[in-house]
Amino acid sequence: MNDPYTVLGVAPNASDDEVKKAYRELARKYHPDNYHDNPLADLAEAKMKEINEAYDEIVRTRSGGGGGSSYSSYTSSSSSRAGASSDPVFAQVRAAINAGDFARAEQLLGTSSSRNAEWNFLMGSVCYKKGWVDDARSYYQRAVSMDPGNGEYRQALSYLNMGGYPYRDSGYGPPDTGLDACDVCTSLMCANLLCRCR
Amino acid sequence: MFGYIRPEAGELKVKEFGRFRACYCGLCHELGRSYGFAARFILNYDFVFLAMLLWRGAPRYETRRCAVSPACGRCVCASSPALERCAGYSVILAYWKLCDSVADEGLFASLGARLKRFALLRPYRKAAARWPRFDEAVKSKLTELNGLEKTGETSLDRAADKFASLLSAAAEDEPSADAQRAEAQLLYHAGRIIYIADAYQDLGEDMKRGRYNPIASRFGLRAPELSAEERETVRLSLENSLGLMASAFELMPSNYWSGALRNIICVGMPGMCRQVLCGTFENRREGAPRLRGRISAQQIGDEE
Repeated sequence: MNDPYTVLGVAPNASDDEVKKAYRELARKYHPDNYHDNPLADLAEAKMKEINEAYDEIVRTRSGGGGGSSYSSYTSSSSSRAGASSDPVFAQVRAAINAGDFARAEQLLGTSSSRNAEWNFLMGSVCYKKGWVDDARSYYQRAVSMDPGNGEYRQALSYLNMGGYPYRDSGYGPPDTGLDACDVCTSLMCANLLCRCR
Repeated sequence: MFGYIRPEAGELKVKEFGRFRACYCGLCHELGRSYGFAARFILNYDFVFLAMLLWRGAPRYETRRCAVSPACGRCVCASSPALERCAGYSVILAYWKLCDSVADEGLFASLGARLKRFALLRPYRKAAARWPRFDEAVKSKLTELNGLEKTGETSLDRAADKFASLLSAAAEDEPSADAQRAEAQLLYHAGRIIYIADAYQDLGEDMKRGRYNPIASRFGLRAPELSAEERETVRLSLENSLGLMASAFELMPSNYWSGALRNIICVGMPGMCRQVLCGTFENRREGAPRLRGRISAQQIGDEE
């Protein structure tokens, strides 16, 4: 196993608070919720496991053998499609999607004769997994309008509409909300004018 | 459709900015060295990004003069495998894009493109012989894209997929399979963003000239005006790809350029997308990245 301090990116003499902060930062970044329906979810999960183990290791050595206290809930939320399919073909499609075999899922859907709500939902899922968000949204919307009572379809659509991975939370603020040079200059000029009024 | 991948210079550290400029100049010198003077004109920011992404280890710096800074020269990255690769890739892509414009336009309109293509013919042959796999990928994907354009493809994703997979073909020879997957996803979504942003940017021009535009045919537009809801749909596609790109970046091993790369992915590109959507993005002809004053080799710093 790698050095736990290297994994968390802190110095070995860092304080407990610093370690905790670094851990929380990384855990937030690689949280399974951020990789929901992301083809790289397995890599993020492995990373998350590594971080948890590193944190537990540090806590254990520092407390002299006490139990670890990483957020165990973070590791155990691998999502699975729990929808029930009445059609055996759709069950196969769901299995193919979960296995990451999108070509097979698409082929099965292409040969299926029905074009019901579930078909649209599964087409949408395949598109979404491929990163084809626009097509996925159209299929999900069709699925929801054909079967408005289905929670699974509605949840998929609302998740898509939220926009996926929160890339903004990475230490940078969005550039357009900051002060720009002109703002600073104009306020300084105004201040200057006021100061000169005697 | 080049020049969309750029850093937000105001958010870069001076050190990172100096390195970024050295990489830009390094790529320009590499193009000149390997493919002759004419090839230096195809230089663009997108391939600087690719070079930084594919870089292994730390760069060597050297001082070199060129036509832009003839007097005392600039601190530039010395030749490296990543620069060689990106120089070759950019020649291949530029050549095939020119072939595309020659085929699309009439005899007189395409005269400029024909001349440029002629100038790039020898460099292209050299690059294609060195990087046959990328050449093959570009050729086949652009042919498929042409086919979709001819039939007036109405799915934005299907059209964008061709350019995106073309770019993700640049991800190869990674040390581990995991890193390769992450890199391919990152480049795929970079390609998607470029394609969609470019389509949005060219909407008016394309419709005026009666050319295929993926956004126009996605929404069945008659005039180059999008409703608020349609714009929101495009924004959502860009936003999702930005997210998938960033999520892939976080899973790649960090390298010498991580600071500048994070800036491009998390600030530069989202900013570019916002500007494109509200119509304030200017795809100006880029010179070397500018900053008042000179940045010395010491300021670039090699302590990391």
